[in-house]
Amino acid sequence: MKKERSALSVALIGVLTAVVVVFTLVVRIPTTKGYLNLCDVAICFIAFTFGPVTALLTAGLGTAIADLVSGYAQWAPISFIVHGLEGLLIALIVRSNPNSIMRILAGAVVCILTVSLGYFALSALFISTVAVATAEIPANMVQAGVGVVLGLALSKAIKRAYPPVSSLSW
Amino acid sequence: MTVNTFIAKETWLYRFDPRAKILLLLLFIGWFFLPITLLGLTIALFLILFTAATNPGLSFVYRTFRSILPMLLFMVLFSPFNVRSGTPLITIHSFVLLTEEGALQALRLGLRFIAITYLATLLFATTPMHQLLLALQWYRLPYKAALIITLAFTYIPFIADSFAQIEESHRLRESDDRKRKKLSAIIPTLTSSLVLALRSIPTLALSLELRGYGRANERTHYHTLESYNHPFTDFLFSVILPVILFFIGGIQ
Amino acid sequence: MERLANSTTNSLEVTQLSFTYHGWGSEQPYTLFEDLSFSIQTGRKTLLLAPFDAGKSTLARILVGGIPAYFPGTLTGTIHLAGNDIAEVNIFDLVEEVTLVTQNPQEQFVASTVEEEVAFALESMGLPQREMKERVHSALTHWNLFELRSASPGELSGGERKRVLLAAAEAIDAPFWILDEPFDDLDEEGRVHLARVIKESDKTILLFSSRYLQHFDGLFDQSLLLDQKRIVQQANEDALTAFTTLCGDDELTVLKQQTPLQEIPRVLRVEHLTVERQRFSTTMIDAFHLEVPALTVAQGEIVSLVGPNGSGKSSLSRVLCGLDEPLGGRRMIDGEVVNSSVLNRRVGYLFQNPDLQIFLPTVKEELAYSLKRIKGISSTTIEQRVQECAKLFDLNLDHTPSTMSYPKRKALQAAVYYLLDRPFYILDELDSALTYQAALKIITQLRGRGAGILVITHDQRFISYLNSRVYAIKDGRLSEV
Repeated sequence: MKKERSALSVALIGVLTAVVVVFTLVVRIPTTKGYLNLCDVAICFIAFTFGPVTALLTAGLGTAIADLVSGYAQWAPISFIVHGLEGLLIALIVRSNPNSIMRILAGAVVCILTVSLGYFALSALFISTVAVATAEIPANMVQAGVGVVLGLALSKAIKRAYPPVSSLSW
Repeated sequence: MTVNTFIAKETWLYRFDPRAKILLLLLFIGWFFLPITLLGLTIALFLILFTAATNPGLSFVYRTFRSILPMLLFMVLFSPFNVRSGTPLITIHSFVLLTEEGALQALRLGLRFIAITYLATLLFATTPMHQLLLALQWYRLPYKAALIITLAFTYIPFIADSFAQIEESHRLRESDDRKRKKLSAIIPTLTSSLVLALRSIPTLALSLELRGYGRANERTHYHTLESYNHPFTDFLFSVILPVILFFIGGIQ
Repeated sequence: MERLANSTTNSLEVTQLSFTYHGWGSEQPYTLFEDLSFSIQTGRKTLLLAPFDAGKSTLARILVGGIPAYFPGTLTGTIHLAGNDIAEVNIFDLVEEVTLVTQNPQEQFVASTVEEEVAFALESMGLPQREMKERVHSALTHWNLFELRSASPGELSGGERKRVLLAAAEAIDAPFWILDEPFDDLDEEGRVHLARVIKESDKTILLFSSRYLQHFDGLFDQSLLLDQKRIVQQANEDALTAFTTLCGDDELTVLKQQTPLQEIPRVLRVEHLTVERQRFSTTMIDAFHLEVPALTVAQGEIVSLVGPNGSGKSSLSRVLCGLDEPLGGRRMIDGEVVNSSVLNRRVGYLFQNPDLQIFLPTVKEELAYSLKRIKGISSTTIEQRVQECAKLFDLNLDHTPSTMSYPKRKALQAAVYYLLDRPFYILDELDSALTYQAALKIITQLRGRGAGILVITHDQRFISYLNSRVYAIKDGRLSEV
């Protein structure tokens, strides 16, 4: 009898959501313009390593919780939608062949566009105004770009450093 | 690292049923998007701040304000440029910098931003997470989702801790007395933290199953929302308050 | 569920069990058990002794159906637990039949507070709320956890976490308990309590251990040894001697005093140090201070540090290697006061958890990493040193650390520091999951380059093999014994 492993999805999504939160809040790389947070690195890593539903849920929940905990509660629903979409789309694109350069580039473009446009649109509508939202676009794009590069590097490193990761599918 | 949003006190907002609180939050957020007069918005915001000061307390009010101040200033400075038409207030060499309408709109946005921030953080500051999740489950959030959220909160400190210790291990492995570049160590550090996190997944899943997760019978709940004594009145209050404020504030 | 006719006689029947872990990458698949058979009668209490690398935690997981479901490998043979064929039921179906208490509490926590943890399985079983409250209350009180019921797992000490797991087992009240190293982590009071619980219980109990403790005397009806991938029955009286031989611990010799390799050995000394120990909990946030009037470690010598859990041994270690600042006092090397960043490079602190100090995908890369960051070393020299080191510590260069066994990861951790060639090392609870023999071997290897070593432990027997000066912490104060 094949065992159900019913709890695997719960454990996987729970822990990976925590990873996204930690990468967003705790891990900060100093750059010329201040700090970059690594939420997009975590999301891209998950999208390159796991399936679309996992990426959608962990990215959405993780960034929403991070916003909540750091006092930016009104961004939580926006982060959930934007980053959730980011995770979902990238995972869908690279799913069939994670090593294809074409797919990786497509994923990168989608990532950068989703994050910058998504935040722009939703912030302008619900939080602030078009002017303010526009000012945030460059920073978001840089962060998303860095996210794809590092996320991909991590995905490859993890597959070498922890081969059992491939058995964590549900 | 603390992920605790709850501030433990016993005042009246803490005894308010969380399900009604969620409803009130949503209604209030919607309310702030209506074309209420600026006076109405100000009154509402004042009420919210008063509630915050008397429930979680003044230091909560101060801390929340400090955390949104940069964003608020940014917004207030940039917003006026949106509205080009209307009576000019500040001009520089015939270039209209600020109009009256622009100023008013900036004020409106600012009030709304502050209000929504406080509303949302108030919900989390006055409701323990497990009660909040129970309330959401009452609104039909599946148990699986509540469990995932609980697990995420449980594992955040664990992962943050191991990350900190891994960073320290890097410090201990440096050989020279020269200043090291933090960046070159970033991939191994992140990889190591991820491996630790990933390794805990099968054992966590096994523990969940060993504790019966996945059984066909219905789960019961150890915690309930019984400690909230007057849900009906709380719900009534949640619905009536925004309506009253609507009429007090008036449409602009 | 269908049950077999003889389910009342044997709680557990294992027949010709063989298990091989899945080999990842270039590793050879490793066979842990071959043709292993044993059975346990209902109501009997059994002690199963196995040395640290033999796979008892794996066996525990296999018995409840967790392997190969969650940990890939090839399993043959049959297991009947409480009348159920393990291969035919889901793990969660057995929650009312068997409770497993694992060795590592960290990995078994599923809830955010102590009382929720104890209640979780009861919720799964669908018990009515009133009954749950009663059972949880009673279990928490029995295990002295009532004040901590709202604490989160991260705030608890190792011993407290163990007690939470045991309280959860009590609340579930299954007739068969599998306990993996339950006495580990508990303090003396907890151990006495657990021994009494086992003695007075009428459950079927299977207890795994890698150390023979005096608490075991008179507690068990039968003793089993896991030897050469099979189970061997043992008369109770002979269990201790047979086990000691199995671990190689009967051949231990006390470490000899060593003449220092250096002409002038360097000396690490602290004076009048005050170290802050922090312990967060919901009931109290208090910071105790540890007073250290004087502590000296010279190159070439071994010094031991003992103290109960939570007394500040780790906090002191962090101050000694420069990860934290002391509240007061001086840290000196060769009589000169040094700051934290100098200490980072002179004192190697081996964390208790080796996984926090290993980063790279293969052993080879791990060992080469530190050497590569030193200026002026050619790649051939690096290659050579890495090979020598791997040989000394018995490591395979192509293996992946994350799938190596715990003793091997500990050896890798030590190997990394060996290559860093620090004058001083601090070993935090090295002996807690290794045989004495393995632990002593690591100490000897690190001493090979003439380093001074501070060994932290709470095992008195281990200290007797070290032939060292001993410092003890009592009531917030360190003194030489």
